[in-house]
Order: sequence, then structure tokens, then C-alpha cells
Amino acid sequence: MNVLGSNELSENVINRNLCTGCGACIDLCPYFKSYRGKTAMLFSCALPQGRCFAYCPRLEVDLDYLSEKYFERPYNSDPLGFYKSIVTSRAGKKFTGNNFQSGGTVSAIMYFALEKGYVDGAVLTGQESILPIPRIVMNPEDVLSCTLSRYTAAPTLSAVNRAIEEGLSRIGIVSTPCQTLSTAMLRANPLGEKDFTDPVGLVVGIFCTWALDFRVFEPFIASRVDINTITKIDIPPPPAEAMEIYTNNGNKIQIPLEEIRNLVPDTCSYCMDMTSEFSDISVGVLEGDPGKNTLIIRTERGKMIVDEAAREGYLIVDDMPEINLEHLKWAAGNKKKKALLKARKNGMVNNRGKDKISYIRLNNETLEEIIV
Amino acid sequence: MSYLTDNQNKDYLLMGNEAIARGALEGAVSVASGYPGTPSSEIIEALSSVAKERNLYVEWSINEKVALEVAAAASFAGLRAMCVMKQNGVNVASDFLLHLASSGTRGGMILVACDDPGALSSVNEGESRTFARLVEIPLLEPGDFQEAKDITKWAFELSEEIRNLVMIRSVTRMSHASGNVRYGQLPDTHARANFRFDGPLSDPETGPVVSMIVGASELQHGPQQEKIKKAAEIFEDCPFNTYEGPEKPELLIITSSACNLYTREAISLLDVKDRVGILKLATTWPLPPKLMKRHLSCTDRILVVEEVLPILEENIKILAAEMAHEIGPKTFYGKNAGNIPSIGELNPDIVASALSSILDVRYETGSERFAEEAMLLVETMAPVRGLTMCPGCPHRASLWSIHNALEMDGRKGFVCGDIGCYVAGVFPGGFNTVKTLHSMGSGSGIASGFGKFKQFGMDQPVVAVCGDSTFFHAAMPALANAIHHKSPFTLMILDNRGAAMTGFQPHPGTPVNAMGEETPSLDIAEICRAMGAKVEIRDPFDLEETQQTIHHLIEHQEGTKVLILRQACALSPERKDKPKYKMEVDEEVCLGENCGCNRFCTRIFACPGLLWDEEKGVSKINDIICVGCGVCADICPAGAIKREEVV
Amino acid sequence: MPDNLLKDPYNIIITGVGGQGNVMASKLLGNMLVGRGYYVTIGETFGASQRGGSVMSHMRISGKSIWSPQIPEHKADVIIAIEPVEGIRVLARYGNLTVKLLCNSHPVYPSSVIRGEAYYPSPEEIETSVRNMAPDTTFIDATGEAVSLGNPILAGVVLLGTLCGTGALPLNRKDFHESIANRLENQQVELNMKAFDTGFRLLKN
Repeated sequence: MNVLGSNELSENVINRNLCTGCGACIDLCPYFKSYRGKTAMLFSCALPQGRCFAYCPRLEVDLDYLSEKYFERPYNSDPLGFYKSIVTSRAGKKFTGNNFQSGGTVSAIMYFALEKGYVDGAVLTGQESILPIPRIVMNPEDVLSCTLSRYTAAPTLSAVNRAIEEGLSRIGIVSTPCQTLSTAMLRANPLGEKDFTDPVGLVVGIFCTWALDFRVFEPFIASRVDINTITKIDIPPPPAEAMEIYTNNGNKIQIPLEEIRNLVPDTCSYCMDMTSEFSDISVGVLEGDPGKNTLIIRTERGKMIVDEAAREGYLIVDDMPEINLEHLKWAAGNKKKKALLKARKNGMVNNRGKDKISYIRLNNETLEEIIV
Repeated sequence: MSYLTDNQNKDYLLMGNEAIARGALEGAVSVASGYPGTPSSEIIEALSSVAKERNLYVEWSINEKVALEVAAAASFAGLRAMCVMKQNGVNVASDFLLHLASSGTRGGMILVACDDPGALSSVNEGESRTFARLVEIPLLEPGDFQEAKDITKWAFELSEEIRNLVMIRSVTRMSHASGNVRYGQLPDTHARANFRFDGPLSDPETGPVVSMIVGASELQHGPQQEKIKKAAEIFEDCPFNTYEGPEKPELLIITSSACNLYTREAISLLDVKDRVGILKLATTWPLPPKLMKRHLSCTDRILVVEEVLPILEENIKILAAEMAHEIGPKTFYGKNAGNIPSIGELNPDIVASALSSILDVRYETGSERFAEEAMLLVETMAPVRGLTMCPGCPHRASLWSIHNALEMDGRKGFVCGDIGCYVAGVFPGGFNTVKTLHSMGSGSGIASGFGKFKQFGMDQPVVAVCGDSTFFHAAMPALANAIHHKSPFTLMILDNRGAAMTGFQPHPGTPVNAMGEETPSLDIAEICRAMGAKVEIRDPFDLEETQQTIHHLIEHQEGTKVLILRQACALSPERKDKPKYKMEVDEEVCLGENCGCNRFCTRIFACPGLLWDEEKGVSKINDIICVGCGVCADICPAGAIKREEVV
Repeated sequence: MPDNLLKDPYNIIITGVGGQGNVMASKLLGNMLVGRGYYVTIGETFGASQRGGSVMSHMRISGKSIWSPQIPEHKADVIIAIEPVEGIRVLARYGNLTVKLLCNSHPVYPSSVIRGEAYYPSPEEIETSVRNMAPDTTFIDATGEAVSLGNPILAGVVLLGTLCGTGALPLNRKDFHESIANRLENQQVELNMKAFDTGFRLLKN
């Protein structure tokens, strides 16, 4: 893999507004900081190679290399990536949380993985008011305070870096697609460190079509509702076309999604991945049923944990209706195609030659299949 | 007893500034005031050290204008008074200066302005001599250390004779240089002050003292011009204007101040004293016409040697033009002809080079081979010593937090600075944080303007910094302006407890005055609150708390906010030689040049108290200069820098 | 005025970095010489001294008159460097093949060097190249000696002792004692005398 340093990262990602704010470069060093959803480079570290660059999901993402590593074959054009099976799911009776999103599958799985020791800590995203705050959770009960979606970009991966520093070796991660991609890059030991061991125990990826810039979203919401009264923000599955904001006085405010889409940062339009393709398990809403999730099982480990969680009553799984699968594939394929076309148009794909930095690299055959 | 008040018949080694102070004492000064500024500060310091012994009133005023007003009051009350400032200060005082020159003085009064040719310790290379002409007062320039003393004493008499202010101009190489001085007698110290105002307005001794009466220029401007004419007459016989050289020199050099010493040395270096004469003028404005005519008549070629602006040169040329029919045409050399550089300070080599080309004699400074090798040696072996802040400087911590908060904020916020040690904020040592830098307090005024440009689409956060002394000097009006106009910026007052840059002179916020007496100290925070600003106070050594506060202040864009970052200067009596912590680097933990650090402490934070151990590849503490502030422990990403409290 | 100078004017430059006691050293030396009846002119450059800048005192000693507070290029007779790289800087501009250089071997690194942007030569490199330019050079660990006496600021006084030890100036221990006796507290006088003696002896051995 082509790994450069902080200057190249800053120049090619931050300065070009391509940063997703995922937090992959945060808490590795004192040079990068995340503040209110935005990543900033305070100074140049001047090293020719750095982990910040190596982990960045907007630089030198070699999809074939990662596919070979995690799925033992080159990247292909399936809109949902590689997977073993797709089911629907919701939290089972053994999971005691109540204020969660859709079916509560993500929280239930992480709760279960922590309780059973499949992970020795979980990196989740909590919040202060509506500002997302990355958290390292060691106790299953603490999962319950990190169950909500925020729809804004969060530097969650900074907590992964901290967890590694603290010596955790089987970290459970709940991540958006860009964060899932970065995690996959981190686990590939891109700098070839000698005594490297994979610090990750389980990756639960979540579906994502965009994440808002907190600094844009906050004033937008604040002009409509007192932020301190918000208890939950939700975007129910299609066909509903609205963001719903619940407040502690029992009110629910609806904002048409059309208005929200105007706020979506440009960097999301370069994202090829809707379903967190390099996870163990991916979870999203289920079209037409706000009480359930779509669950994509991708790896052996993912399958084992889902099966066991279902067996022990933490999770209830069911068959995925064909029509839902079709819609999901269409949506994911569409996102992938549009993103790749845009990236290619802007000279960000498969650049060759020294000093040529690419955002993404993939085999030509797959590339052609995606963009037709 | 101080050596300044000795009365022995022997030579003393005095700094030019001390010589001026001694001259003031011999001239029976009673009141001295000033505002600190290099290279002028030692004059007031010297006088304050003998204030009790000599029954003086000495003060460090809030700014130069007020200083001049305080000294003027003494003169109006019949006392001899001296006011001292650096060149830039004369600009500050100039409004009152014009009025004072117009109303005239009573007790002998001197304005001492210290210029800094080459801007050795200034942010610009200004010229104060222009003011003498501008406000029509006599100008004196001492040409050595003995003269610095003698001219000061003489200036009081001159002032009383013409009933107006006299300006003495010194330069760094006079003020901050030292040489032998022989003392004269110290007078009795029984001056009495009494302000008389019962006489008619037209009586300069007994009437009210008022500047220009509207529409009646003949009442004051006329007499004022008579005074300057009288000064010119007195200057014809001034003992401090001297000539040395042949009767009919091939080249006449006219010079003053430290340039006198450079010129003498240049003549000696070239061994041309038989060909060249030096007219050393102490009275450079107004020029005494008869004296000038005498000397200008003796030669056809004239070189004027002076620093900064060609003021002497131009005044001589005007006289020469008027006298042309009597003295004949002249060839002038100097700044205008390009023989003398128009910027920077001079030295014997520069004058010798000019002379060598004018007289066509060879000037060799030494062996060429040595010079070439020396040049190479410096290039390869002598890394430049750039301006930075001292080890343990609170400004480094303040600018660190400001820099980081603005970068994290990400809206291209910036800092408007002014004059103080924090000028280093322009450079890497201060993290390149300061983006405008001008005069005292001007960062606050500029920020007050920047804050109002939202209607033109400007949403960059605006921060101004000023020091505690600067706050009183010139930032307060700017802050009032900003609050009144609801300009949304944050003024950060870097309060390091005194005018640290010039040597801890007191200001209205300190609990002592120039004479060491206890005085009420004005509370900066309360002043700002009373003005209507939201005020926070933090210790800049608490990086996290400071940075959080800055974030909070710059995020909320409404109104003018003040953050006082209070921590004493590392060189202050309060902190000097009193380290709070013993610092140490744990070599095992230090990440060195690895990803995750790459010498963050020495390369970026770059406190001179830290060193990089090339062999071990780790940082270490420079125990000889570390003052133990402990801040680097908080910036180390690995926790390798340890601090242990000194008990 | 006495006239037993090796040269008139005799030119000495004391150089170092702000905070090393440069100005104090030149004052002490100047007072000793004025006490002996000489004309002394000192030009100081210390405006930026407190901020780690280069500091330089030019001293002219003469039996005849005051001289320019700046020494012409390549006309120094003695250079006292409290910091080695500052010694190099001054040597290059004011030195010559016969100059006597007394150099403290203890470096004070410029911020550019601490940052890693500039190179600071090794003691061996400094010694070789300086001796090449100025054969009459003596290196002394004045800071080391000063630290063992309790305060690095005494390095300047150690070097003054060394200078007096060379016999280049008509000065002795008594002159030094007189110049500090009425300016410092007793305890300080004792400490300064120790530093002076340490420097004085260094060259004798």
C-alpha cells in the first residue's frame, strides 16, 4: 500500500473538504485534533509516513488488497460487498435496553459480545446534548447509554486508537462505512509494524448514506427546537421521508428529508459503501418496518456471534423478504456507482506513477462493472 | 549612596542613559517621567534609584503623552522637568507636544527621545528628530558620553532662556553604550513648586498656560518662532559644536550623535586627518547660520554622516542654498547621493567605506582570505539565533492554546498583536499565530474593526492580544470602542505582571510605583467588566482549561469578550530562580522520532529549556536554563516528560 | 593616563546569549579599567537578549580617548565567547589571525537547532575550525566550572579570571575585587572571587 504522511493527508483530504471526520487520525499523535465534528491538523509532523495517512478512508484505499485480506478474493461489483447471509433482526428479550434505534440489533449484539468476552471493550458513540462523543465501554450495561443514532459524523475511531493504547486486544467497534473501511486498513498493518497483532474482536458496521457536519446540523436544528430538550433523533425507514426529533416534553418535530439532504457534506458523495462492506456484521434499518433491522452477516466470526446471540435470546432473527433485498441492492449499487463516477471524474481513482495519490484503487473489471 | 550621586574627582564608567540622568541631576531636575521603551528605559530607572536621596518625583506614566503632561505640569509650576521615551513614544506624545511647544514652558524642561537606528530592539526604525522641526523646538544631540551629561545640564538653562521645551535625541549606541564621564557639582535640592496663573494671558511667567488661542496666531505662534530664532543665536556659541581638522579641509564631514564617534574612527582607519575636517554638531535644529557659513565656506565638498532620515543633510542644504551667493556652489555627499546607506545603523566600517570612495583611498579591513574563510565558517558552523521566547515564558503557553483553539475551530481565526515579547507570535517560536502587528494597543483597535465585517461576509474569529502594561497604555480606548460598537472579538490580555520586555517597570496595574512606594493597583478585570465586557481569567499554564475557555469565547460570536491570561514572566522577581517543578524526561517512554510524536516537544513547542539528544534519539531537559514551569509535561503525547514539585 | 597597553585602542569583544551575564561581565571589566585610569568605551547590543538572542559587548580600552562603541571589522584583539557559536560569529566578523579567543565550550542551542531545522557543530568541529582561524584560542568549560560553584551565570566571571590570567591586560585580582566589592553583597563577592580565581588558574595549568 502507498503510505505517505500528515502533510499529504492534510493537503489531499482536509484541505479539499474530503475529510469524513471519522477519527482514524485522532489520538494517534498530538498533531491531529477533532473538535465539534471537524478534524484539524494543528502542526505538520513532517514524517514521510504516518498512521494517519495509512488509516485514512479517503486515501489509498486498495479495495482488492482489503478484499483479499478479509474475503480471500479480489473486490467485486456486488452492491452489498461480500457476505454469507442477509436476515432481519431485532433485539431479543435478554437485551434490556429500551431507548434504541429501529430493532436495537447493534446494541444487543455489542451487549452480548461484551458479556461473553468476545470483545474486551467496545468503541461506541455516545453524546453530549446532540454532539456525538466517542466512548470506550468496558461494561455491557454501559452500552445502553450509546444506543442512539445522531446522523452527524463522529470521530469514533479516535476511541479505537485510545483503546489500543490502553492495551485492549479484542476491541468491538460499531462503525459507519468510512469508519469500517478505516478499521479494515488499520487491521491490515499498513506500516508493517514488527510486533503487530490485530487488536479488533468484532466490527459491527452500520448502513449509512450520509452523515451530516455537526457544525452545520447544530444551528439548523437549534433554529427549530431547543437542543437541550432533544431525547432522540430518528429517520424512519422508507417510505417515510422525514427526520423525526423527539423532545422531553413529548413533542415530535418532523423535518422533510429534502431539507436535510441540502446539508449533506460533499465528502459523502465520494463514498462507495452504503453497508459497511468490511465488517463482520452490517446492520441497517428494514424498509417498511421501523421495529426491525436488516442484518448482513459477512464473516465466520460474525456468523458465530449472531447465531449464539440468537440462540441465547439476545437477538431474534428472521428471513429477509426478497423485495427488501432488491431495494437494498438497488440503493447500495446506485450509491456505489455515483460515487465511483464522481471520484473517477475528479482523477481520484487508480492513479499510477510516483507521487500520484489515489483515493481508491480497484481492479478494472470491477470498476467497469460498477459504472455501467 | 549610588555612584550616580557621587561627587569624587575621578572618571566614572557610565552608560549614555546614566550620563543623561546624571546631567539631569546636575541640572537640578525635580520631576522626571516616562514610559519604558528600549533604549530609553535606564534614564528613568537611574533617576528613580536616587529619587529619595535627591528629593525627586519620578514616575513611570501610563503612556508617553501622559508622561509629557506630567513633566509639563512640573515646568508650569516652575520646576525643572525631564520626560523620557523611545522614538515611537514621541508619536504617542506628539498631540500634546505640539500644544506644549505652542504654550511654552516655565521651569526648564527637556524631552529626551531615544531612537533606535537599525531597529535593534524595536519593530521599526523611526525618527524623532523630525518632531523638533515639526513643533519648532530646539534639538540637541550629544556626540559622546561626557556630552550626554553636560548637554543635558545645559539644556535646562537653554529651555529657561527661551521659555520652551528642548529636545535631546539619543540613539542606541549612545544610550546603551558606556564611556568615561567626569562629574560636575550636584546642586542643592530645595526646589519649590508654585503654579502662577493670576497674571494676564499674555504674560508667559504669571498668566494661565494655554495653547493656541483660536484665530490669534500672532499671540503664540509668533513668539514661538522668536524663541527658535533665539535658540539659533545661542547655538552660534554653543560649546558642544566643535570642529577638528585642517583649516581648509578637502572634505568637510558634518555629523552628530554616535556618528561622531564612527566618523572619528573612520578618519583614523584611513589615516586622512590631514585632508578631512569634522564639524560635530550638538545643536542640529535650528542650525546656527553663522557657524555653518563659516565652515561651509572652507571647502567645496561636504559629507553629512547621520542615521535614519537625512534631516541634518537637508537642513544644511537649505542653508547652503540660501548662502550660495556668498559661499559658492558645493558638492554634497550623504544619504541622498547614496554614499551613506539610507537604512540601518552606521558603524566605523560604513563611514570608512564612504570616505574611501569619496577620497579615493583604499580601505582594507583585513586579509581577504580570512574574510572569505570566516564567511564560510559562519555559514556552516553558526546557526542563526532567531527571536524566541524565554524558557518557561507564559506567552508561549498562551499562544499555544490560542493557536490550537483557532486551528481546531477551523474558521481561519487569527490574532491581531501589538508591542510586547509576544511579537514572537509572528514567528514559529510563537506558532505563527499573530497576523497583524503594529503599535502599542493597535491589535485591539484593528480587531475592533475586523469584528464588524460580518455584513461583508467575514466570519473568521478575531482575537487580539495585548500585555498588561499595553492595556493601560493604549488598548483601553480600543476596547471601549469595540464594546460600544458591539464588535465581536476576544481581547486576550497576556498579564505577566509588569512591563516585562523592558525590565519590569511598574504600571497602573502593579502595586508599586517607579520609586518603590506602595500604590493602589488597578484591577484590569474590573475595569473591563465596568466597561461592559464579559471577562474570564485563566492561568495560561493550565493548557486544557485555557483552551476550553478560548473555544467557548470564540464560538459565541456576540459582543466583545476579554480573557485575562495571568501568569508572571519567567524573569520576574516573582519567578526568577524559583522553579515550581523539577523536570525530567523518561527516556524509556519518550517516543522520539516515531509516528505519534516526532519530537513534538523540541520541534514544535520548542521551549529552549528542552533539548534533543541526537545520540539517544530522545528529548531531555536543559537543566541549566529550564525554569520548571511544568508546561511541557502537558504537551508530551507519551507522558514521558515528568514533573516533580520542588518543595 | 597609563600607557602600558599592548595596543591603543585595545579592542575586546565579549559575546554570548541573553541571560549568560554578558553585560555584567563587560561592566565589571570596564569598571576595573576605568579604575586603573583608562578611557573605556563599551557598546552593547542586548535589545533582544532576554529572548535568547545573540549578545555582544564591544570594549575599547585606550590611554588617549573615547572610541567608537562599535569595533571596526577584523580589529578585535581579544574575543571572550561565553557561547561557542557566538564566538564563531564574532570571530568571523571582527577576528583576525592574531586575535586571542577565550571560548566557553558550553553550547546554548538556538531555537532553530532545538527545532531540528539547523545544525549545531560538534565540539570537535568547533575546536578544529576555530583554531584554524584563530590559533591563539583557549577553550574552557566555564559553564561547567560555574555550575559547580552553584550558578551558571558565573561563567562570564570565570572567563574574566582567565583573561586576567593571560596577562593581556594590566589587571589583577585586586582590581576585580575592587570593582565588585561596593556593588555586591559580601556573600556574592566571595562567590564571584571564587569564580574569578577558578578562571585565573585554568590557564596557568
